[in-house]
Amino acid sequence: MPSPALLVAVPLIVAALLGALRRLIPRWTADLLSILTAAGNLTMACWWTAHALHRTQVYWFGGWFPRGRMVLGIGFTMDGYGCALAALAALLTTLALIYSWKHFESGGGHFHPLMLVFLAAMSGFAVSGDLFNLFVFFELMSTAAFALCGLKTHEPAPLAGAFNFAVTNSVAAFLMLTGIAFLYSATGALNLAQLGQALAGRHDRLVLAAFVFLTTGFLVKAAEFPFHFWLPDAHAVSPTPVCVLFSGIMVQLGLFGAMRLYATVFQGCFAGTRIPWIFVVIGAATALWGAMMCFAEHHLKRLLAFSTISHTGLMTLAFGLWSKAALAGLFIYLVGHGLVKAGLFFCAGILLHRFETMSEPALFRRGRALHWTAPLWFLGGLGLAGAPGFALAIAEAHVTPVAPWTEAIFFIAGTLTGAAVLRVGLRVFIGLGDAGPVDRSATVDEKPETNDPGRLVNTVLYFPALACIGGCMVLGFWNGIAGIARASAASFVNFSGYVHMVYAGATVVAQPAPVQSALLKGVLWAGLRGVAAAAVALWAVLHLRIPRPLRWPSHLEGSMRPVRELQSGHPGDYVAWLTLGCALLGAAVFWLAL
Amino acid sequence: MSFPADYPYFVAAWILLCGLYGIVRSRHLVHMVISLTVVQSSTYVLLLAIGFRRAAYAPVFAGLPVGARVVDPIVQALMLTDVVVETTVVALLLAMVVKAHEKGGTTSPDDLRFLRG
Repeated sequence: MPSPALLVAVPLIVAALLGALRRLIPRWTADLLSILTAAGNLTMACWWTAHALHRTQVYWFGGWFPRGRMVLGIGFTMDGYGCALAALAALLTTLALIYSWKHFESGGGHFHPLMLVFLAAMSGFAVSGDLFNLFVFFELMSTAAFALCGLKTHEPAPLAGAFNFAVTNSVAAFLMLTGIAFLYSATGALNLAQLGQALAGRHDRLVLAAFVFLTTGFLVKAAEFPFHFWLPDAHAVSPTPVCVLFSGIMVQLGLFGAMRLYATVFQGCFAGTRIPWIFVVIGAATALWGAMMCFAEHHLKRLLAFSTISHTGLMTLAFGLWSKAALAGLFIYLVGHGLVKAGLFFCAGILLHRFETMSEPALFRRGRALHWTAPLWFLGGLGLAGAPGFALAIAEAHVTPVAPWTEAIFFIAGTLTGAAVLRVGLRVFIGLGDAGPVDRSATVDEKPETNDPGRLVNTVLYFPALACIGGCMVLGFWNGIAGIARASAASFVNFSGYVHMVYAGATVVAQPAPVQSALLKGVLWAGLRGVAAAAVALWAVLHLRIPRPLRWPSHLEGSMRPVRELQSGHPGDYVAWLTLGCALLGAAVFWLAL
Repeated sequence: MSFPADYPYFVAAWILLCGLYGIVRSRHLVHMVISLTVVQSSTYVLLLAIGFRRAAYAPVFAGLPVGARVVDPIVQALMLTDVVVETTVVALLLAMVVKAHEKGGTTSPDDLRFLRG
């Protein structure tokens, strides 16, 4: 049995080595060592996920077991949800490192150590069972992410993006720390299980304020409306492998933090209140807002960034429904979205590598020679819309029966984000219609991030995209994923099982009975979304052949100026939105709970 | 002169608001980073206030009588961790400001808005 501590320790040690020796070792050694480390993490995390489906287990650092009801040590709780997210983080890191093989500009050798520190922090965050450690890993993850985002220090735009990202997320971290201080002052505990027990049934003002501050902190990372402004800026300027990790796993880990906190610390406090509905409302608003902004965007990485906002909103909505079925759907959604979004970012990276621009009008018709990237991009667009045969379709078939009206939100968000990606595909790879409207944000200069003078696209660049999109399709046809998701969701919501694991060392996971899911209805809706996404994309691309009053998609594409001006690029504005959002969240929580 | 027991909490809240105001209204990137450290100092005050006990020793037990009152060492440890983490972030941010000034020729967040819409 591998020690869970290795998930964090090994990448950190290798990162330190690579950092110290970065001027001495050749590039291929750094590539190989970091890929092997990430692959090792992937193996361990997969092993722990398989183990956690039957038995969730706690690991105490230094053997500091609890004495009586008092938790003394710091623990890693190895449950299905957390381990699966650690595995997803390791998988995406491995693929991102393979993508960066040899030709990717490594920022003076800082790229590999930073990626491994980032991986260590994400793994630790996913399995931490201690509130303060959750904060420390959150901060470590953020710091590595800030540095990775601003890796291209020879251009001003990445610095601006990284600065906005760092300021908003640091403010979020301080709010979290304030929340942690409140909880500690109320209970004298930092372990999640002990906190949950101490707070059971209690919702006075102090506990509510702690909930508001902690949730705000996590939702900033999860890029929920109105905390999401930093995300498109950070994505537009980050190197491609970094975008993959940001969109595929880091943002979702922010949501996971809020979920973990709710499942352990606050579930007992808020049982019977309507607090979870706050997440449903925030999630729905974010999903629609992100989808709209995504469709109006013409910078490829920013477009994908807004679709991440939209889909994380859908996940937040699923979390707010707070039922085992919805959480099982959320589990599949996390994995499926992570893969498909990573695949799309890899494809965008290939375009950037080949043509040195990310602007949709500038790329018009230029992708026609890329015979391998085109099908992957189109499949990715359909996958994002949740068309049948992709993991997202199964995920939605789990979530929507819990509250049938959510089908509408899933439909609009899936269709618009999928249509935006397909529209880009039609223009760039096929050359239909015209180049589309010129857009200021699409003209951000982007220098090449690879140092291959021939600009050839080789197998190493294709493989990660193929693996991601292919993986998402395999999950869409594999029945086993639903069983894993249900077992993980069942142990995730089971707080008494969590407490038992922390105090007794391990808990046997009750195997959930297979449920008859509304699969046929799910497939119908999924097909409808796929067709609608393709139709909207064609409608937008061929707008000149359509009578003027019927050109709705191109209106949505071109005339969103006033709304898009909110995305002002000024960190002060973003922090003002953050403060407002925190105040509104506080008002809602106090209104619903008192 | 003695202050009411919850006085430090109001101080912490006030510092937090001052820092946020500073970030929102900032005209200079260095000013913005310093405002961020002001936000952070509110957490110092809060944490120390939570662990504080009147007429108590520092939590170093060598030489203290058994059962002596000490202030809470855990919040102090939290604060120290916070200091370490944030020093890194502030150093990184200031490095970015230096680079932004070098490459973009400006230290005003208003002129650094390459990413809009």
